[in-house]
Amino acid sequence: MKIKRSLSILLVVMMLITVVAGCSKNDAGNSTDGKVTLTFGLWDKYQEPIMRELADMYEAKNENIKIDIQLTPYGQYWTKLETAATGEVLPDIFWINGPNIVKYAANDMLVPLDELVESNNIDLSVYPEGLIDLYTVEGKLYGIPKDWDLTALWYNKKLFDEKGVEYPNENWTWDDMVEAARKLTDKEKGIYGIASRPDTQEGIYDTIPQAGGYIISEDRKTSGYDTKEALEGTKIWIDLLEEGLSPTLEEQADTNAIELFKGEKVAMVYAASWNVPVFMENEIIKDHIDLTVMPLIKERAATIHGLSNAIAANSKHKDEAWDFVKFLGSKEANEVWAKSGAVIPAHKEVLDIWESSYPDINLKAFVDELDYAVMYPVSMNTSKWNDVETEYIKQMWNRGITVEEGLKKIAELMNEALTKEQ
Amino acid sequence: MKEISSNKKRMQINKIIIHLLLILGAIITIIPFVWMILTSFKTLGESTIIPPTIFPKQMQWENYKEAMRTLPYGKFYFNTIVYTMLTTIGQIVFCSMAGYAFARIDFKGKNFIFVLILSVLMVPGQIFLIPQFMIMKKLGLLNSITALVLPGLFSAYGTFLMRQFYMGIPKELEEAARLDGCNHFTIFWKIMTPLVKPGIAALAITACLYCWNSLMWPLIVNTSIDKMTLSAGLSTLSGQHGTNFPVAMAGTVLAVWPMIVLFAIFQKHFVEGMASTGSKS
Repeated sequence: MKIKRSLSILLVVMMLITVVAGCSKNDAGNSTDGKVTLTFGLWDKYQEPIMRELADMYEAKNENIKIDIQLTPYGQYWTKLETAATGEVLPDIFWINGPNIVKYAANDMLVPLDELVESNNIDLSVYPEGLIDLYTVEGKLYGIPKDWDLTALWYNKKLFDEKGVEYPNENWTWDDMVEAARKLTDKEKGIYGIASRPDTQEGIYDTIPQAGGYIISEDRKTSGYDTKEALEGTKIWIDLLEEGLSPTLEEQADTNAIELFKGEKVAMVYAASWNVPVFMENEIIKDHIDLTVMPLIKERAATIHGLSNAIAANSKHKDEAWDFVKFLGSKEANEVWAKSGAVIPAHKEVLDIWESSYPDINLKAFVDELDYAVMYPVSMNTSKWNDVETEYIKQMWNRGITVEEGLKKIAELMNEALTKEQ
Repeated sequence: MKEISSNKKRMQINKIIIHLLLILGAIITIIPFVWMILTSFKTLGESTIIPPTIFPKQMQWENYKEAMRTLPYGKFYFNTIVYTMLTTIGQIVFCSMAGYAFARIDFKGKNFIFVLILSVLMVPGQIFLIPQFMIMKKLGLLNSITALVLPGLFSAYGTFLMRQFYMGIPKELEEAARLDGCNHFTIFWKIMTPLVKPGIAALAITACLYCWNSLMWPLIVNTSIDKMTLSAGLSTLSGQHGTNFPVAMAGTVLAVWPMIVLFAIFQKHFVEGMASTGSKS
């Protein structure tokens, strides 16, 4: 009997808690005191405090708005967003990136912003052109740029000094870099001159355009991987591996190139701007690293990517959402990003503030690269051929197949994926 | 005489070998935990240094402060405990009843329904994600503890496990009870269930572990940080490009200790339950 009674008590408690928990749920953005709650989806814990600061600034000026920031880690962000999109409960405003923009825009999940931009007299020329292009799908703009990132050549001054090699500068060519890497590689100490990274934006997405090639055609219909420029832009990385100037793919699988650079095992690395805070918070290397623009191959190029703030088509508060997005795109809000040093703010007029966020290193290199930035390659189902790239890049870096074979395979499968998108 | 002593010796050697192997196994399983604790006391730079240091140069208690500052651990603990308790109680109640029915009652379509339930085990959980989400949305339950708990109240694995335990009980007991005038519920409740306590303990432990570890569902169904569980909240500590490992490890230590304590208390049942999952006839 005793067991029975205690079990029924437990069950009653359980039901009560369930009911109470059920009652306390949020009511689709309308709280009782007439305030409008805007939900904001993002994925980076390290940028969340800055986003909160901006939200507080905005709330102070607009007393009837409350901004609810919803953080989901990157690994689960897109799954969650897709589920929410199916259920039409996307956050009012959320971060979106290049590989996903076409998919969300073409499926009418986002609010087109052109008319709003026009009626509010917003000057889009303050944002990098490559980013506006990236977020324009079928002639319509779907996101206001928040930040951007480019890749630069980072180097460890201590390792250069030890071998008496001159630091890289903005006039370097690829051959200069290889020459320096030869001098810097020290097999006994386990130090390599440069990391040949099996990467896209921090690797072939830069070197292929620098060799005169492209990743995807402008109409997003054909792959550029089967051109001789692509071959050149890829082969130079493999040559570094073959000469033993870079850690092998196996070594990089244990500890990736960024970690090897932090651990002072590679003297030079191609690393994107999001690594700035990562490197500069590392007390072991931060005082003796610096960066410069990527060395010249045939021409100057750098693939630009960046995030945008987008408004969900299912939002019940589109006007309020737009007003907040407009605020986030303003110079005032971009200044907050610039001072934080966390990301490169999208607004061109605050770049000098950002450059001085870490005054000891040459952040200007990124701004210089902006002059010749090329758009990040995307299409409707970017992830489909991104998987192909990853797979065959791995095989080429592992030297299981030749560069010629690998690129041919990527081009073939990528073209196939692109045809299916039509 | 001589033979006995050599036998004894051999047994001793065997014992030593077995213990050495067990110690080796224990070390291998413990190393990640020890490493987690050591890393949680390092600075960011020290955590990525090559070659790695084993002991932190200086104990960085700030990492724990930082983890507790950035995440509302009080709420996480509360949500996780409520989630775990409700799910565990639900599974014990529903799975033992279902398990009993499948093991002891003859009814039409029994095997068909049982196979149907088993087939759920063969489908990866991610497939239910969107349908479950849509159901919760239709019920207006998104962003609530109820939505977190509801899909986990019943489990196919638990039903299968409990069925195996109920099948292991001799038929004579049931017949004797019936002669004494018991109906199915009293047999289930008074005779059988007290005999399958190890099974219930095993089910409770797996359900607890499942709740404590589950990530995708809590993360997807609940969006505000106040409604998150420990595992979901903890995952937000990893950045896209760089993770502050010492802080993340400190956060993990804070999240796993209740499970370690629970395991230490119930480990006897845990092992027993696992060992008898198969046939017990």
